[in-house]
Amino acid sequence: MEFAYLAAGLGAGLSMIGAALGIGMIGKSAMEGTARQPEATNDIRTSMIISAGLIEGATFFALAICIILAIK
Amino acid sequence: MTIAKRIVSLFLLTIVLIPSFVAAAPGQASNRVDIMDKLANHYYLDFKPIGKIELPRILYYNGGISYYPSTSAALNSSSGWVDLYYYEYPDKIAYKEDGSIYPASYKLVREDGSAPSVDFSLSSHLVWFAISGFLVLFIFARIKGKYSSQSIDGLVPKGPVQNIFESLVIFVRDDIALANIGPKKYLKYTPYLLSAFFMILFMNLFGLMPWGVTSTADVMITAVLALFTFVITQFAGTKDYWKHVFAMPGIPKFMLFIMTPVEILGLFTKPFALTVRLFANMSSGKMLVYSILGMIFIFGELFGPAVGIGSSVVWVLFTVFIYGIKVFASFLQAYIFTMFSALYIGIAAEDHDHHHEDHAEEQHHHEVAVAASSH
Repeated sequence: MEFAYLAAGLGAGLSMIGAALGIGMIGKSAMEGTARQPEATNDIRTSMIISAGLIEGATFFALAICIILAIK
Repeated sequence: MTIAKRIVSLFLLTIVLIPSFVAAAPGQASNRVDIMDKLANHYYLDFKPIGKIELPRILYYNGGISYYPSTSAALNSSSGWVDLYYYEYPDKIAYKEDGSIYPASYKLVREDGSAPSVDFSLSSHLVWFAISGFLVLFIFARIKGKYSSQSIDGLVPKGPVQNIFESLVIFVRDDIALANIGPKKYLKYTPYLLSAFFMILFMNLFGLMPWGVTSTADVMITAVLALFTFVITQFAGTKDYWKHVFAMPGIPKFMLFIMTPVEILGLFTKPFALTVRLFANMSSGKMLVYSILGMIFIFGELFGPAVGIGSSVVWVLFTVFIYGIKVFASFLQAYIFTMFSALYIGIAAEDHDHHHEDHAEEQHHHEVAVAASSH
């Protein structure tokens, strides 16, 4: 039972590392793109939010498992 | 300046007042707050210090539908309904002042312990879902009336309500529907996207009000919303879309044994991701607010009430910050749900003017053309 809490905590932290890396890379590329081509800002923002949303969705699957481990 | 001063003094007052509530709390087991209970669906509307409004119960059992105006009425109707808590602990039955049974868990079972076959009862999430639905209907019926009145004055948005909603409607139409579905078909799907956007927005924002319930923090509500997107996407599907699902063009025939199941699975993962994204975002935001406020009580129990009171300033500030983020996230999640719906519908409804002999080659040509034009 205690290990389930440990696993939930570690899982939440690890999935956050992955999500933060992914979204950070998207933000980096989007900022570079905007700096190079300011006229494409709106298109870049839309595709940035789409990609960030997809990563977020995958992260939530991981977090849902962590919550299930913690409250079971 | 006076407004700023008032806000600051109100804020300071809040900081001073909150610890007085906190000081009474530590150590009392009965005052513990169950965070998951705050997210759960209830058969009553909780107006905490004032009281509860019990919602009507509609229960289907043994081929018959029974209706009761409230859970208390069902318990006291002597028609065989027992509270689940009293069924498990028969010695703990609590009575009201007038001698009627007081509902404890609000889960009704028969006297022999069997649950009702189907529970159609109104629940708190459903009530707020309906309220936001009717609010959308009311606001847009009013605005529509203004636009359809033939005078030229009706076409110019007047007042804050019409101005706010017109800018949001145009945002959904141009930046979500037109951008993702394309100029030919976007008007057909704009009404659905607008309804979804404003329903989700209202449900998210109602969760931030005092006594409000976040309906979108319920997986069933978001699943129904995603189901609508799923059905509309399938009906919007062109011949080309179904061809891509069942017989992806441009790949070797034997690969279809792998590709077709994956594509069919992909049809269902899209609404599933929509469901989980909205549900997880809204419920995690609510859990975060309660968890950070709970730090006051944890500090109070670990290091004594003085530390709890002292640190509450920090946690309240944190909570206000998270609240600001939640207001932003309410808009963002409504936007993301609508945009992904539009994206899926757009993919399904897209007309392909060209043939798909070779996607990779076409992509390559496109890149060459882009590279050439940028030099």
